[in-house]
Amino acid sequence: MRIERFEVLSFFMAVSGAFAQVPYQRIAGADSNPSTWVTYSGNYQAQRFSQLDQINRQNVRQLKPSWVYQMRNSGIVETSPIVADGVMYITEPPSTATALDLRTGRPLWTYTPTIPRDVIIIGSPPVNRGVAILDNTVFFGTVNCHLIALDAKSGIVRWDTVVDDNKKGYYITAAPLAIDGKIIIGVSGAETGIRGFVDAYDAKTGKRIWRTWTVPGPGEPGSESWGGQSWQHGGGSTWVTGSYDPDLHLVYWGTGNPAPDWNDDTRPGDNLYTCSLLALDPDTGKIKWHFQFTPHDVHDWDSTEVPILFDADVQGRRRKVVSMANRNGFYYVLDRQTGEFITATAYVKQTWTDGLDAKGRPFARRDADPKVEGTLVYPAISGGANWWSPSYSPRTGLFYQATREMAGIYFKGDAEYKDGTAYAGGGGETKNGDDAYGAIRALEATTGKLRWEFKLLTPPLTGLLSTAGGLVFGGAEEGNFYALDAETGKPLWELQLGGAVRSPPVSFTLGGKQQIAVTAGTSLFVFGLP
Amino acid sequence: MGRFAGVLMLMSIAVFQLGAQAGRELEKGRQLFLGMCSRCHGVEGGGGEGPNLNRPVLSRAPDDQALAAVIRDGIPDRGMPRVRRFTDAELHAMVLYIRSLGRTAAVAIAGSPEKGKAVYQRSGCSSCHIIDGEGGSLGPELTSVGAHRAPDYLRQAVVDPAAALPRGVLPIPGRGFNEFLPVRVVTQDGREVRGIRVNEDSFTIQIRDQSNQLYSFRKSDIQTLEKEVGQSLMPDYQARIPGADLDDLVAYLASLGGAK
Repeated sequence: MRIERFEVLSFFMAVSGAFAQVPYQRIAGADSNPSTWVTYSGNYQAQRFSQLDQINRQNVRQLKPSWVYQMRNSGIVETSPIVADGVMYITEPPSTATALDLRTGRPLWTYTPTIPRDVIIIGSPPVNRGVAILDNTVFFGTVNCHLIALDAKSGIVRWDTVVDDNKKGYYITAAPLAIDGKIIIGVSGAETGIRGFVDAYDAKTGKRIWRTWTVPGPGEPGSESWGGQSWQHGGGSTWVTGSYDPDLHLVYWGTGNPAPDWNDDTRPGDNLYTCSLLALDPDTGKIKWHFQFTPHDVHDWDSTEVPILFDADVQGRRRKVVSMANRNGFYYVLDRQTGEFITATAYVKQTWTDGLDAKGRPFARRDADPKVEGTLVYPAISGGANWWSPSYSPRTGLFYQATREMAGIYFKGDAEYKDGTAYAGGGGETKNGDDAYGAIRALEATTGKLRWEFKLLTPPLTGLLSTAGGLVFGGAEEGNFYALDAETGKPLWELQLGGAVRSPPVSFTLGGKQQIAVTAGTSLFVFGLP
Repeated sequence: MGRFAGVLMLMSIAVFQLGAQAGRELEKGRQLFLGMCSRCHGVEGGGGEGPNLNRPVLSRAPDDQALAAVIRDGIPDRGMPRVRRFTDAELHAMVLYIRSLGRTAAVAIAGSPEKGKAVYQRSGCSSCHIIDGEGGSLGPELTSVGAHRAPDYLRQAVVDPAAALPRGVLPIPGRGFNEFLPVRVVTQDGREVRGIRVNEDSFTIQIRDQSNQLYSFRKSDIQTLEKEVGQSLMPDYQARIPGADLDDLVAYLASLGGAK
């Protein structure tokens, strides 16, 4: 009932035009307005959990498509839709923002900036993970490293800011994070030897408010963890959207690999703050604490996975924690006020470290380092998990993660820095096919202990959504989209969508009825009950 | 005179240095090749699951530029992966080394392709394999198998077909998967089907049985799904084809280069 009242209210708000469409308070209160999906991971805690329970274990088998939108460009789709006030906002590869009528899927506007033909995108496919919304404006990043603000009603440009120089390899794939008056954005490009950062921009003007380098310069704390001048091209990109605790007033943002990825000859030391989680003061960008998961990484263990915030009883004490299923194969639980290490557990097979010490620092095996002739290591280069969103259900207390069980062969190669060219120093090959598999795993969120798993034929790249209806939605590389029982992992519904599912599902209501949206291939599907 | 001798000496030093540098590059190329290419193309390019490279002209890489592109990008849907990103120097070294393999002699193939064709025909191979549009379709097409596989691999595929099922040549079931993998299915109602896996996902599997009949199962309807890794539906021809005939058959298969 409350949901329907809210929709009526928002209808009048839209007609009168007297109110901002999605003010900050509405995002901060996202859990009490589950009819919409107003930030990347559904709420600032990045739980990707929907409070809606109309679609549940009993009726999920009746799901039917409400509509399908086919994107105009080929490419890999990783967008997480934003839904507010009868409109769905998505991005299409590589850098197009589009608004769709929520009732029909018909486009309302689309905006494609001019992307130079010689745009430099090294280290990933030219993807985009979605927009952010704040007040009446939609924000998204581009592959030539602009941050663009569009009028939410018309798609007309409000401002267009160059975040950094694409000629040096900076580009954007992450969805921005909108908080009170500010747009936080991270960058990609460590494979070209960028020096990474997290930026905050004034939502109204597009002017930069602060920049926090993820690789400290000479004299700054952490600079001693770099050899010579290696910090200048030290990597540490920030290519997945972080989370935010409005009460602690801290933004949590993961950082990527040091550069060159697989050749560490020039960068002795821990290489702070690469492969870390940063807790940032959103007013100043100051690093309040950091936790480095993989000091001196040589396997590309980006720590840009989505950090999920929740409060729980841990070892008999109520704590505010942040957790992450790291690319390096371990699931970590940290105190999110202090960054204190609480616990970590391997959630996939890993062979690169002989475990972790009491503070969570790995005993990395040097015989697992990349070599010219190749070194076999678990997990493979894409990690046990990576950019695809996990989900946390406060109902079950479980952390749901699409995991990859696969070995990789890691090669060390030459690395020579030159602006805008590859500075990766090697690479990897995966032992895929019948030698690998995937699994959706449900971990006890406070311990990382495996509660259940649902096996997949191949290692997935799918995001997950858990719901108050007791379901976990996810996809597969082979195009399956399915719902699992959140308590047991039992599959309850499945449909072949005909293309790889590489985006995270979201949930919202349409005419008071719960919907689930997900992309597969280059199509976006919306499902509801008949 | 003295000045001339000096120039000569400088020139010879330059040539020597050039030679030493080329030697280093060649060695670097060899190291890279050993790590990333030898599993399929053989330790010295003699071939295996992938084609041998001891030939003066590579069909997909007629010049250095094309060769560099193949190393850099792989050959999608032909089993050749893009392994990793290379610096220009690494690419150059690999091109140099692979070109040097083209100047070494290919392993001589005993046997006569003409006689081998007759062996192929009388041994019933065409009941399961297509060459130039003719034959049965249960097994892999062989029209251009000589361009994709080295003779030793072809020999093994005849005498011990289960030892090395092909991987990653066909776009379906996909990179890294065993192709023509025998599977045995027992349905919930007790029906048994044995055949080759055509495709599979987490919820379903598609199979062709020995009479080439297509089956599609939802895994939830299956009691047993056994993937018979290490087996093949093709009988082994070790005993059926005597030594000289086998040489001829391998020579015939190795000669199959497909449309030029």
